[in-house]
Amino acid sequence: MVHTQDKKSMLGQGVVIFVYLAFLTGLEFLVAISFDSVPLLVVVALVKAALVAYYYMHVYKLNLESEEVESYDYKSGTNRLGLWLFLVSDSFVFAGLMAMRINLLGLTRPELNQFLGLGVTAVLLISSFFMNRGETLLHNGDRQGFLWNTAVTFVLGLGFLLGVVLIEWPTASAEGLTPSSGVAGAAFYMMTGMHAFHVFTGLILLVIVWLNGRRGLYDAKNYPVEAAAVYWHFVDVVWIFFYPALYLIGTAVK
Amino acid sequence: MRKTHPVWTGILLLVIGGTIGYGIGLGLDLLVSHSLNFNGSVAAAFALFLAVTSFFFGVYGYRGITRGLVFQVIGTLVGALFVTGIRALVGSTTIFGPFLFSEPAWVFGALAGDVSFVFGVGVVSDWVKWVRGLDTPEHHEDEPGWEKYFSVSLDHKVIGIQYTMTALVLIAVGGTFAMIFRTELAQSQLQFLTTTFKLFNQTGPQFYNTLMSLHGIIMIVSILLGVSGIMNYVVPLLVGAHDMAFPRLNAFAFWVAVPASVLLLMALVLGGFDTGWTGYPPLSARAPVGMQMFFLGVFTAGWSSILGSANVIATVLRMRAKGMSAMRLPIFVWASIATSIIALTATQLIGLSFQLVMFQRLLGMPFFDAAKGGNPVLFQHLFWFYSHPAVYVFVLPGLGVISELLPVFVRKPLFGYRWVAMSSLGIALVGFTVWAHHMFASGMNEYLRVPFMYSTLLVAVPTGVKFFSWVATLWGGKIETPTPMLFVLGAIVVFLLGGLTGPPNAAIALDLHLTDTYFIVGHFHDTIFGGFVFPFFAAIYYWFPKATGRRMSEFWGKLHFWLMTPSFLVLTFGMMRVGLLGMRRRIVDYDPALGFDTAHLIMTIAGYLIFISVLIFFINFFYSMTHGEKAEGNIWNSRSPEWQVPSPMPVHNYEVPFVVVGEPYDYGLADSKYVEFSTNGSKHVEFPTAPEVEKHH
Repeated sequence: MVHTQDKKSMLGQGVVIFVYLAFLTGLEFLVAISFDSVPLLVVVALVKAALVAYYYMHVYKLNLESEEVESYDYKSGTNRLGLWLFLVSDSFVFAGLMAMRINLLGLTRPELNQFLGLGVTAVLLISSFFMNRGETLLHNGDRQGFLWNTAVTFVLGLGFLLGVVLIEWPTASAEGLTPSSGVAGAAFYMMTGMHAFHVFTGLILLVIVWLNGRRGLYDAKNYPVEAAAVYWHFVDVVWIFFYPALYLIGTAVK
Repeated sequence: MRKTHPVWTGILLLVIGGTIGYGIGLGLDLLVSHSLNFNGSVAAAFALFLAVTSFFFGVYGYRGITRGLVFQVIGTLVGALFVTGIRALVGSTTIFGPFLFSEPAWVFGALAGDVSFVFGVGVVSDWVKWVRGLDTPEHHEDEPGWEKYFSVSLDHKVIGIQYTMTALVLIAVGGTFAMIFRTELAQSQLQFLTTTFKLFNQTGPQFYNTLMSLHGIIMIVSILLGVSGIMNYVVPLLVGAHDMAFPRLNAFAFWVAVPASVLLLMALVLGGFDTGWTGYPPLSARAPVGMQMFFLGVFTAGWSSILGSANVIATVLRMRAKGMSAMRLPIFVWASIATSIIALTATQLIGLSFQLVMFQRLLGMPFFDAAKGGNPVLFQHLFWFYSHPAVYVFVLPGLGVISELLPVFVRKPLFGYRWVAMSSLGIALVGFTVWAHHMFASGMNEYLRVPFMYSTLLVAVPTGVKFFSWVATLWGGKIETPTPMLFVLGAIVVFLLGGLTGPPNAAIALDLHLTDTYFIVGHFHDTIFGGFVFPFFAAIYYWFPKATGRRMSEFWGKLHFWLMTPSFLVLTFGMMRVGLLGMRRRIVDYDPALGFDTAHLIMTIAGYLIFISVLIFFINFFYSMTHGEKAEGNIWNSRSPEWQVPSPMPVHNYEVPFVVVGEPYDYGLADSKYVEFSTNGSKHVEFPTAPEVEKHH
């Protein structure tokens, strides 16, 4: 059970996992710019996704048993299952986009600023760390800590969204990569656009849980915060795959 | 009490609203295009909007569905005007399009209308309250009588009936479309859908293409809603739940299907589309605006399917009665799980493929434009990744209904329960690996053909398991043939024909000959009638008393069956015959020298007979709701829990929860029980079942 674990060790775990993720992201970048090994990039992405799914999205909670059928825990369990079913469904959209990218571009990629890509990726990854921290603090009964960390998550998430839409897109299109310039542009704008839309919905969820959390609505019944956090991390997991697919793999083409 | 029946008020307002809408549309069209288009799209679109809305206003007043439709109309107009305004501000050269608004304006308007509908109908109001931090009661009180079916209800039984009724309405619409183009096909050459024919900015042949395409997609949406209807009504009853796991999501999933249906009808009037329901680019990248309405309609209906499936899976996993272990689940529940797994995941891919074409049209993103490096075959991969498994979404619940009903009317245990339960999952999983068998002639890489041929042939194995089970269940049973059982038997025969004509299409060498011929049409109709339409009717005849407390007329039910089945067989055999001889599918005309005139005439007559038989069903259905013979007990002598309580089903299902104590299908075995109600101190009434004396060994 989660409750029996040491509260501080949960927070510490979040930090350790973040260090791993940051290390792997850096490794990924170095692999890509030095010897461009696709299998290695795939492995790194899978490891990152697995770390986030287990430690940040705590997928194992799907297995939690609760005895009382009418209890809040049992209902939260049902809601958790529903959310994961939705995420499975949603991941088929992203898998389809990935299939589209592989089919149309193969071992080429859109010509983009790789450092800008690393920058937005780092922002999203750090936001996931704060999201996890906020959720853990709320579990530990620290409402103020939850609010601060969620606010930081929101700011970083907004930073990512604006970074993609207001910096990355204009930069790319100034260099000739527009939605209609070719399949590379089409794939790039479609994939980042669909992801940005999910980030946007995630931001709305963050605002909702922040406002209601401030009024103490989630002090006892905190499943909605967990749901928003899991969704936020899911969006991060999607980017874990999209980032190498768009910025790292293969040779750049217009 | 009202003086006139609300339906008459509705029809009166439908005429008035339609006329006013027609006038408005005509006037606006005149303003923009400076010409009077009496049979043009704009007048028709406004007439359609206002007619449908006014009809529900007359029937039901300004609440529920009417409010939703009013919001949809306003949302569409506001959205379209918004985009038009922006285009005017930025000085775009094309502020208006051939159908009043430009294409982006129509698309954005349709999307805004979609969203407005769900707010208008009130299906998201509880969620809005949750966002504001307010709590809502677990259930709302429903209005008594028929009125609850026209507004948001959270009761799975009401939602199941709403789904089923919408499915029936769409079947009627799609069937009518089929009758129109079947009439044109009765003879070679063009009779009434000629090149001088003009309706909704389409010539006769174009109109034929639109009707043919819409027949396909409207029937498919109707099937999806019908499947959801049966699953919604029956699954919680079979597993002993008081409702679905997420009642609000359930209501939402139903209500988004209503604006989706409106959008599909909009496709008809906004210039139509001529791609068939498959919407392949490059043709779909240049079809009229109707194409976009079709895409959006399917996309919206897809969400209904996805969210409904998530709900079914969660309900079965989390809300089963005590003792209902995996191997004691009713077969229909197994089938629902299998179908939901497909609908939950694969549906996203059809949505994605259509979105990509939408963006190609709107923003010039060249996904499928070969001239700019795009790949049209990619569309077919994405599209069929859903659309092949989709046929298993259609048929698996139907096959589940067959397995569920067969033991009841044979009074014998279902043969090979475990194998049948697993075969549904088997079909679903193998079904994910077969999609490219639709593309043998598409020009995809040749080495892909053989694996897809074998995976397709593999589907025959789990399907065969079901057939063996049905035959072995029938073997030596005491077969009774009330109407539901007739439809079950019909389903088995017709689905067998559909199944047997499948492997020839899967074999590459034969398929290259059969691709795009009427043989495919015949095969497809056999599978869908056998796998969905017959079982759907069986399910309605079977569970109708559960929902209404009355039963449908046996005489008219049997007439429906005996009229429909032979006509249907004649129709599909005819299709397959002309197909083998070289008749192309999806074409408005054929060469008289081919000698198909007689065959087509017979098919058209058969089509009309099916139409009449379904009309008989509709009359029987609506008449029996209020005038049918009372049937409040366990009239089929079933072991299933929902028949152990009185009909119509109480609002919160089982007042006393039941415990599963035995196997579900041990019919005819003395002293075997499936469910037990703890009856101590409750008002619960158990209906005595006829004693089963004979023992099977």
